[in-house]
Amino acid sequence: MVNHVSPTLVRSAVGAAHPVAIEDFLDSVGVEPNSRSGLGAFNIWGNAFPAEALPCGTLTELDRVPFRFPPADGVRPDHLRCRGQRIPLPAGRADWIHVLGAAERRTEDDVLLEYADGSARRQWLRLSDFWPQTGPRFGERLAFRTGSMLYPRHEQLTMSPSIWHQRIPVAVSDGLRAIVLPHNPAMHLFALTLVEAAA
Amino acid sequence: MRVELQDVRPWRHDLGHCLHATMGVLLRAHGADPLQVLGAAWGFGYRSGDLRREEYYVPFGAGSLLGAMAPHHPVSSRWHRPPDPETAWTQIRDAVGDGRAVAAAVDNFHLPFRPAYRDVHTNHLLTVYGFDDERDEVLLADPVPPRFQGAITRDEFAAARFSANPEDHDRDLFFTRNPIDGRWLEITVGPDLPAWDLDHVRTVITANVAALEGDRTLWDGYADDGAGLFGGRRGTARFLDAAAARMRRGDDPEVVDETFVVAGTVLAETGVHADWLAAAGDAFARPELTEAARLVERVAHHWSAVRIIVANARADTAAAAGEVEDRAAVLLTDLDRALDLLARAV
Repeated sequence: MVNHVSPTLVRSAVGAAHPVAIEDFLDSVGVEPNSRSGLGAFNIWGNAFPAEALPCGTLTELDRVPFRFPPADGVRPDHLRCRGQRIPLPAGRADWIHVLGAAERRTEDDVLLEYADGSARRQWLRLSDFWPQTGPRFGERLAFRTGSMLYPRHEQLTMSPSIWHQRIPVAVSDGLRAIVLPHNPAMHLFALTLVEAAA
Repeated sequence: MRVELQDVRPWRHDLGHCLHATMGVLLRAHGADPLQVLGAAWGFGYRSGDLRREEYYVPFGAGSLLGAMAPHHPVSSRWHRPPDPETAWTQIRDAVGDGRAVAAAVDNFHLPFRPAYRDVHTNHLLTVYGFDDERDEVLLADPVPPRFQGAITRDEFAAARFSANPEDHDRDLFFTRNPIDGRWLEITVGPDLPAWDLDHVRTVITANVAALEGDRTLWDGYADDGAGLFGGRRGTARFLDAAAARMRRGDDPEVVDETFVVAGTVLAETGVHADWLAAAGDAFARPELTEAARLVERVAHHWSAVRIIVANARADTAAAAGEVEDRAAVLLTDLDRALDLLARAV
């Protein structure tokens, strides 16, 4: 098989970073605490990430990029599936939108970036599979790999699913207004952060 | 007596499932390159109602699963349906004892290394590559995560092979309710596999493009009939259009299973073919093939979306019909771009 898995996410120095408030857009439960609600279903078979292995409800930093990882009680939504949501973005310059997410089988789609000057441009969002023993396809860095995967009635210690750190380029750096996500429910997002590259 | 066949190593493609993984392991054990054989085909074919509830389903693969997966190569597979558990074991033991790794259908519920063990019934395919009579063990190779290669007891293996595969929970709805029946499968490879060279690559691409653009299935060459037989580019469009229409009516729950399973097979074939093109582009220094690989890969990623759109639509298929239509439009646009580039490349 052709090997496409070497990480190619080249970092520019991080300047200002603004975690995006996506609380109002969370619509899915994909993480469960060990008290187990049984409601977690990151994928169609009801698999979920164990909350104890993720920085749920905290501001966490990966490769110097801060992310606001949603709280997860196994009942309230802790992430979103991409279903065409329009998410307002904080004002300010940005060169990249950093993303924590994963897909059910790798997939890609375009997002629409709405700029402060009234223009809009499409950019690619590409997410690799969360499935254990499956590497990144699109140059993402590994954000989290949990030591187990939850099944509806048991915890599987031999399965370690992944959440990826991906980024979307911002073509016009003078300011964003919103991001419109694709209609692709195979794509799951936990957090977005706007990053301005340091001069 | 103990037999452990050599040259049995894991092979898996991340867009495939247990069928591709098992065929890859078996092909490699027979000295063939899995990507070169499994990755050559790229087409579309489906006959309405043909669906079988098994993860190793392939349209038009009832006679020869491997033949349907690899129509450009002299390879084939044959199912065996032994009448009872004792014969089922003897047949596999004899084949492995003769030096042939084979595939066995199993219910994961009975396999200790599978996550579904004692939890969920679901059918699966894996490779048998050895046995140990004194230990009463059988050696299995399963590259599907969590990857496993080793021994389980013969009793566990027998239970997995003769499970009724019932639907116990509101869980793996796609691949349950289909008894395993002790089935096992052996493959035949060659003789005279085509050389991995640019002539072969051109021949394969020409045939794939001709079938897709000619609205024919690749394996048997059936023409799209505008009704229940979907073939080639037109068949792809009609299949997705028909799925959306059935979903919009909202009275046809089978459309979810049928579209999900067929989309899974197309996703696998398309994804493996993209890597085949990339490998050809690299091996023969043909950047246009590498570029085509990227376009075909994009088509695969549309199928990833189709699969999950329909799987999440079970409660309200009508609400997702528009999403399938929109996805079909961009999928077909990218399919056409890939076909154009491939036609120019050869």
